Amino acid sequence: MTLRRPLLVLVALVLALAAFACGGATSARRITVWHAYRGDEERALKEVAARYEVERGVKVTLLSVPFDAYLSKLQAAVPRGNGPDVFIDAHGRLGTFTKEGLVADASGAIGEADVARFDETSVRALTQDGKRWGVPLATKCLALFVNTRLVTSEIATLEDVQKLRATLPASAVPLAYEAHTTYYHVPFLHAFGAELLGSAGDFAMVGRGAEDSVALVRDLTKDHVVPDEPSGALVKQLFVQGQAAVVISGPWLLSELRDEVPFKVQPLPTVAKTGKKMRPYLTVEAAFVTPDGAGKPDAVGFARWLGDDASARTRALVGKQVVATKSAWADPEVARSSALAAFHAAAADAVPTPTSTRLQATWVPADQAIKKVLRGEAEPKAALDEAKARFDDVMRPPPPSPSPAPVMLLAGGALLALAYFGVRRARAPGFRAELTRSLPVYRYVIHAVVTVCVLVVLPLVAGAATSFFAGGRGETRFVGFENYAQILTARGGALLGHGSFYLTLLVTILWTVLNVAAHVGIGLALGLALARPWLRLKAVWRVLLILPWAVPSYVTAVAWKGMFHRQFGAMNAILTAVGAPPVSWFSHFSTAFTANLLTNVWLGFPFMMVVTLGALTSIPKDVLEAAEVDGATRWQRFRHVTAPLLLPQLLPSIMLGSVWTFNMFNVVFLVSGGEPDGTTDILVSEAYRWAFTRDSQYGYAAAYAVLIFLLLFVATRLLGARVDRAKAKVA
Amino acid sequence: MSAMTEAAEEREPRAKASVEETPLPASAPRPIRCAARGVKKAFGKTQILKGVDLEIAEGSFAVLVGPSGCGKSTLLRLVAGLEEADEGKLEIAGRDVTRAPPRDRDIAMVFQSYALYPHLSVRDNLAFGLRLKKTPQAEIDKRIDEASQMLGLGHLLDRLPKQLSGGQRQRVAMGRAIVRRPNLFLFDEPLSNLDAALRAEVRVEIRRMHERLGATTLYVTHDQVEAMTLADTLWVLNGGLVEQKGAPLDVYARPRTKFVATFLGSPQMNLAEGKLQKASGGGFVAEGGGMALEVDVERFGAALEDGREVALGVRPHDLRVAQPGESPSLELRVEIVEALGFEAYAYGWAKASGPRVIVRLEAEHARRARPGDVIPLVAPPEHVHLFCQKSGVALDAE
Repeated sequence: MTLRRPLLVLVALVLALAAFACGGATSARRITVWHAYRGDEERALKEVAARYEVERGVKVTLLSVPFDAYLSKLQAAVPRGNGPDVFIDAHGRLGTFTKEGLVADASGAIGEADVARFDETSVRALTQDGKRWGVPLATKCLALFVNTRLVTSEIATLEDVQKLRATLPASAVPLAYEAHTTYYHVPFLHAFGAELLGSAGDFAMVGRGAEDSVALVRDLTKDHVVPDEPSGALVKQLFVQGQAAVVISGPWLLSELRDEVPFKVQPLPTVAKTGKKMRPYLTVEAAFVTPDGAGKPDAVGFARWLGDDASARTRALVGKQVVATKSAWADPEVARSSALAAFHAAAADAVPTPTSTRLQATWVPADQAIKKVLRGEAEPKAALDEAKARFDDVMRPPPPSPSPAPVMLLAGGALLALAYFGVRRARAPGFRAELTRSLPVYRYVIHAVVTVCVLVVLPLVAGAATSFFAGGRGETRFVGFENYAQILTARGGALLGHGSFYLTLLVTILWTVLNVAAHVGIGLALGLALARPWLRLKAVWRVLLILPWAVPSYVTAVAWKGMFHRQFGAMNAILTAVGAPPVSWFSHFSTAFTANLLTNVWLGFPFMMVVTLGALTSIPKDVLEAAEVDGATRWQRFRHVTAPLLLPQLLPSIMLGSVWTFNMFNVVFLVSGGEPDGTTDILVSEAYRWAFTRDSQYGYAAAYAVLIFLLLFVATRLLGARVDRAKAKVA
Repeated sequence: MSAMTEAAEEREPRAKASVEETPLPASAPRPIRCAARGVKKAFGKTQILKGVDLEIAEGSFAVLVGPSGCGKSTLLRLVAGLEEADEGKLEIAGRDVTRAPPRDRDIAMVFQSYALYPHLSVRDNLAFGLRLKKTPQAEIDKRIDEASQMLGLGHLLDRLPKQLSGGQRQRVAMGRAIVRRPNLFLFDEPLSNLDAALRAEVRVEIRRMHERLGATTLYVTHDQVEAMTLADTLWVLNGGLVEQKGAPLDVYARPRTKFVATFLGSPQMNLAEGKLQKASGGGFVAEGGGMALEVDVERFGAALEDGREVALGVRPHDLRVAQPGESPSLELRVEIVEALGFEAYAYGWAKASGPRVIVRLEAEHARRARPGDVIPLVAPPEHVHLFCQKSGVALDAE
């Protein structure tokens, strides 16, 4: 009785609060916007959004999403209704967006009347199937940065750049750009009348024009007009230090230049030989409205707001963007930035990047072909034909859907067998009693079992199940064992041909064996050395030697990759210092493999050293003394006593190390990155490429993963039995 | 047997060489097989050995005994070559081995923990040293056969050490030494990991092995029973120095110092501080701790002075119950009786503030003794020991 009153009050209070909260939620207008901007661009966006908030009374939540994870986050969030209302991204992914229903028709934000307000190319880039899908905000394309101190003449043609060779000091290069990257090669392609992706979504970088363009770049490199292996960082460095007369780069370089060198920006030149302009790919950054956002007038309004004159002016002035809104360029303040204006001019001639999802699959084979030619390993025609074959291989149509009978039969059979053994077990005498007796025990282990199931078993099963499917997102279909069949038959190619499972497996085994041997050898030697009683400063040595292990492996890998750079790496500096010729580390399998190996040995030996140190303490001192009294020399003591006692203790670590090395993705991916030509890829990095760089063939990659799992499972079982035998003997 | 003679033959040339140099009379002492001269060893700032001299005659069994920390194990390890001496010289079979590694010393050692190679079968454990010396397989087999027969290891040869009992491991460790036929056998407290019954058994076995092989042996122990029963020569170490050497019974009967007197013998010798008093008739009586012990004047001779402050000692076994009418040397007030059946130990004191006195009682007396009893005891003069109170050295050894 006494309790009823407070209870009623409480219920009333909760109801009131709930009503208030609901009312608040519906009355407050708020939208969420995703972007990947940083620095000035982010500042400009905030300013624009703040104005929108004030003017329209809408709360705009800006969320900065890391660029690397941008697409996957969109793909995960939007279909589940957790995504943004508006997001800003490059138009190149429009194909994916429309295919997966991540964007809505943006005609509400950019109507027919608005089209004229924007650069014509940018609107075209965002138009698909006759519909406009986004509000163009800014454009990005390659242009020419000219060091005006080194270059006084006008650069109108590529040949003008070539001629600089004669007038420049020897330490400077006429032209620096990422020559082995297809994106930077596209302007050359276009100048020769070729293109990367055909209108039918085919690999079009073949034929006379494409070959000539690659041959031209090869000659530029040969004539030292372009430096070897120029990475983005190197290009920037050369330009900043005044060692490159001209570089090809995008607006992102602007934000990294201070006042080190006087420079100007101009559109890419013409290739005089063909008389055609070097037209780069144009990326249009646009505001897209998600299906959720399309239902909110505020969201559509914000997309529109981003593209209007005032916003464009802010984005140009604060964000230093090459805005796609024409009116901004009439503003005297905006026009004062000649670099931005130059990019704007360059954009007019640029070719919008194709939005087809198939473009993604062209980069790797095209890159490989260009590198091959630049290394002098193949003629342009052979290399490009091979690239086309690789593209076609990757983009082969998914296999026909077979009847699921075999898989079902197998699964059914397995279930039946399981049931049979289960029943047999359950009917065994004493089983019930045993079960009842052990029930309390299950209470103690159940949480662990559940955790392991959810975190380990389920993903494993899900991954394995994926391997029975093929096709990209949204069009996956069941293909049974077809993925496995294709992998194990090398997709009809030579069994040990380029990129075949077996060749990669051989490389992986070689990789694992050499690595583990070096890890154990060096670890053992250092462990034994550190265990010497007379050694001074033992603690210092130990810490120093464990350091490589303490540094995250990808940091080490990236550092080592830098050390192997042909022109500027420490390795070649050492080689040159001792009078040896410098090595182009990533041009040959043997040297690239060695580079990977050195890096991973550096990463791996401390573990074996620590294990050895631990295992050594378990060898009784007097047994070694007994051997000494028995007449054994130091080597004999190691050979006949220490080694046989150490080995069983090291075996589990060797097994562990083998599995780690077998799957050492970081080093392979970051140091050689499969170079040259994918030959140093191991099974995991190959699986990664199928999943993430080759048209999202997740099923195919999953089949790789399952095969890797099976290989390691069998190998560790075999080795494990040996370990047990060896341990049983001594322990 | 054959193993022994062969071993002896093998050593013949060396022995002959020394014989030729100095022809010895038939009764001459046996040549020295192993000697340490003025050996010093320190670990860091701790001086373990402070100048030790040691001599082991050919074929004899020398036992190093002393409390823990006295340096006996260090000395053994120096002889083995596992440690290097800071100063002094080590000789084995006439050769200076002070700086020689173990493999150049031709020695075999039995470790306290046996130190068997855990990954090798008994057979391979035995063969290990021989294989290192590239001994022919036939010879290895023969020696293993002999050793395993002698030690009863025949059925264990194919087992691993972990499949053996403690006693069996001990025997394998001995076998490993025997097959080597070394110049010198070294034992480092080999029985301390065995239980009491097994210890007695193996002790006898070691002595038997020594008798059969005539092997020159250096044996380290802290156990006085082992020391007394095994040794031909006993070396008592204390504080890094040799306190006394000699035949075990001599050392027992005539301890040179208070330390040796208390270290050897169980229960310990009764000791008390006191004074010498001249008695009527030219004799001396040592008085202290409630005891008045008549002294063997012949033994101590000139060292006896009236009023001299001494430590007087008598072993519990040497005290006997006074006959009726006999004047007792002391009257023991019994506090505790440990009855062992045929004998008993009575613990008590002769004077309220005096030191504890222990006596062994036999037969009738052993059965009757009760706490609170007062037992009159007599100490025969030949069993009364006197030590200088300051130096601790026996008066007859000064």
